[in-house]
Amino acid sequence: MRSHSRRIASMTAVLAAGALALAGCAKGGGGGAPQGAAGTSQKPLENKAVSAIAVGTAADSTGPAPEVTGAKSGGTVYMIDRDDFSHLDPGRIYLNYNASVSKLFTRTLTDYKRDDAGNIKLVGDLATDTGTTTDGGKTWKFTLKDGLKWQDGTPITSADIKYSFERLFADFITEGPDYAETWLVPDAKKPFREQYKGPYDGKELDTIETPDDKTVVFHLNGAHPDFNFTVAMTGYGAVPKAQDTKQKYDKQPFSSGPYKIVSHITDKSLDLERNENWDPKTDPIRHAYPDKFHMEFGIQAQQTTERFLADAGNDKYAFTFHNAVAPERVQEVLGNAEAMKRSIQGLTPFTTFYNINTKRITDINVRKAIITAWPAKQIQQIGGGEINTGKIATTVMSPTVLGYEAFDLYGKLAKPEGDPEAAKKLLAQSGTPNPTVVYAYNQTPTQEKVTVAIKEALTKAGFKVVAKPLNAGTYYDAIGPVDNKYDIYWGGWAADWPTGSTAIQPQYDGRLITDNSPNYTHLNVPEINDAIDKANAITDAAEAGKAWAAIDRQIMEQAAIVPEYYQTYFGLYGSGLGGVRFDPVWGEQSAIDIYVKQ
Amino acid sequence: MTSYLVRRVTGALVILVIISAITFYLFYAVPRDPARAFCGKICQPETLALIRHNLGMDEPLFVQYWHWLVGIFAGRDFVQFGSCPAPCLGYSFATQEPVFSAIVDRFPVTLSLTLGASVVILAFGILTGMIAAWKVGQPLDKIASSSSVIGASLQIYFVGPLLAFYLVDTMQLIPRPSYVPITENPLDWFTHLLLPWVVLSIIFTANYTRMTRSQMVEQLAEDYVRTARAKGMSSRTVFFRFAWRGAMIPILTIFGVDLATLLGGAIITEQTFSLHGIGELAVRAVQNTDLPMLLGVTIVGAAAIVLLNIVVDVLYAFIDPRVRLS
Repeated sequence: MRSHSRRIASMTAVLAAGALALAGCAKGGGGGAPQGAAGTSQKPLENKAVSAIAVGTAADSTGPAPEVTGAKSGGTVYMIDRDDFSHLDPGRIYLNYNASVSKLFTRTLTDYKRDDAGNIKLVGDLATDTGTTTDGGKTWKFTLKDGLKWQDGTPITSADIKYSFERLFADFITEGPDYAETWLVPDAKKPFREQYKGPYDGKELDTIETPDDKTVVFHLNGAHPDFNFTVAMTGYGAVPKAQDTKQKYDKQPFSSGPYKIVSHITDKSLDLERNENWDPKTDPIRHAYPDKFHMEFGIQAQQTTERFLADAGNDKYAFTFHNAVAPERVQEVLGNAEAMKRSIQGLTPFTTFYNINTKRITDINVRKAIITAWPAKQIQQIGGGEINTGKIATTVMSPTVLGYEAFDLYGKLAKPEGDPEAAKKLLAQSGTPNPTVVYAYNQTPTQEKVTVAIKEALTKAGFKVVAKPLNAGTYYDAIGPVDNKYDIYWGGWAADWPTGSTAIQPQYDGRLITDNSPNYTHLNVPEINDAIDKANAITDAAEAGKAWAAIDRQIMEQAAIVPEYYQTYFGLYGSGLGGVRFDPVWGEQSAIDIYVKQ
Repeated sequence: MTSYLVRRVTGALVILVIISAITFYLFYAVPRDPARAFCGKICQPETLALIRHNLGMDEPLFVQYWHWLVGIFAGRDFVQFGSCPAPCLGYSFATQEPVFSAIVDRFPVTLSLTLGASVVILAFGILTGMIAAWKVGQPLDKIASSSSVIGASLQIYFVGPLLAFYLVDTMQLIPRPSYVPITENPLDWFTHLLLPWVVLSIIFTANYTRMTRSQMVEQLAEDYVRTARAKGMSSRTVFFRFAWRGAMIPILTIFGVDLATLLGGAIITEQTFSLHGIGELAVRAVQNTDLPMLLGVTIVGAAAIVLLNIVVDVLYAFIDPRVRLS
């Protein structure tokens, strides 16, 4: 998934580059964190990883969603955040922030259900279960539930679902994911728009069959055993043909969920009210306790933090999807027992790391030495400590990915400040005891400080470090070319769905290397490429998870990245609300269980 | 007078065209591709090419600029966004709304903020400045002068949250600042903007106090004032009819520039109080590399400055009969 970009100029660049963006970047103050936040004495956070991700059964997919204890219906819930939702047309949604609000009015074939223990299950949302495949993931069949209706009361049919996928081929829908489009045309290797141009000229896509009103069958051009996870992306949400206003749909989508849009004033407000045609019995995930939602935009993290702390007027009934506690107020909030009762912490799916350009640093021992000498702890302190940054990472996959295994090949948790002696030994084995490395970075105040720490740590181990500042606005344009002249550069990633296929393949499949592709390390190891193919073919989700964890280990053995953080979220909400939960799939606050205390 | 105005307005339009052309060119001088923002996370080259085509960015730069100019009068169609009726300044890359309607939508906020603050600034600034000049060297002057130094050195982002905390959150004397259209409820319009007005004026008022005081003191030492006094005119007449008029010319000039700048967006005040005005649009346009919006707010800001300059020049003639326009 692509997550919401915030604050730091570099993050804005990330979004602008259309590559990837940061979840919870609200935390990255950009100007470095206050001194107090950097201490090690702060309370440990409960950023528990998702305990388990599993594929649910038909029974799990049956509505209604289990009651939230103490929840009552009625009232208005307020939402305050920095930005308006950049897209509401499901086909144009990649960003987690847009996806979070869409959950209130857009339904997908499958979706994630979270239990009180924090476990996540993929369940059928519009579909009765998570889909069935009999040929290893090439053909997928979904059956729609009974009683599904659009906001005008017309039934949601298989033809609507087929149409929702067809319209993604239209020339104006470019922002969303394109997995399904690539897999639904005859030739996956050729651009999909050359093979089908969308439904607006009356042509249909024959690879989606609708034998009756309730059944949709997808014929993919290859085996994709986790296609049922793919269709959980908001990008594959349902859009009715009769209400498709093309480009305008982005401002006012038609609801299949518990709320409908009453008004949307760009950059100012979004008002939702109950959709009477949504039947809770069809929905295993969503509640609809409040009568209305009033959402306001243009409110910075500093202001939302102040308003949540003051907890006055309507702000008592307010939450925020994305704004985190402003970095300079974190210590104050941690010391405020009352505010902590209405705080939310969690691990987002986002990971950050430093890419090592394996095309330039070909000696594996040099790469291992970089990781061994890396000053992870110092960097975390500069960023304001764990609560402002994240947990120090040691793997490629985030703990939020199915199959994640914790391992630490380079002893980074034991010596997070770096081990120059061990690094020196590795360099001695490499034959170049004093290699020169070019470290390219975003020229922001924080990154300047981080660069000093990196330079110091690597120099201690015997490296010669050339620091190359890059303009934050064009950072990704600079590191994008395969023949870029840099050895180490920062990056970030979040899986599009919580399995290894999108957590790992786009970044580490050597066959996908092109200019500006997400494989910034340019790692191309035949054994890893083969292992990716094998993992992609495993139909059992848990088995596939194990295979992806093994690949994770292979990549770390290749020392292609210095993992930085598993990113964390820390936010507040008003005292008048209950059921405000952290959504581990999107890495921010979730609206679907919220109720107004009465 | 008419020919003077025609000449000035034509000149103003030429300036606006030049400014827009320069902004357009500068934007593309940055090695960054706005099309990437419309592409999914794993961006295929053919999708990127399609987006460039949808946005009209596959054309040479001067053709793109020409289309932009034509769009203002004739409207345009964009594959990515749909149709854009005249006057079309394009669609925002970031919010996908027509730039013109975004600006029209936000202008009342900025206008209300600016005009309300202007009243406070002029009333208090000139009044205290004149009192200080009237009582020059006396305690009242010292109080006015020193408080203006304090006022001028305060920052909106410091005073704003501080006053909001006490007046809004703690004492709950006034509502949280927001914009209520004056047509909807004049009283709410007033009370909701009161704090931003006060905060914005604290900084500016101080400047006007200092300026008025020094101008008045200077004018009072002029020969013509001495002559008027020598001829036996009362201090009051000398002060208000002679010195005051003379002092107003530079103040008017500065005020014209300040007003225009504020109309182009009181950026910090809008950000501090979450007011959705032109200034907020400008900041976001810069953050998001949003060329159409950037051009739009630049043009609005430039137009405000150019037009108010003309207005100020015309006003000179009324204040100072020695100034002739033709």
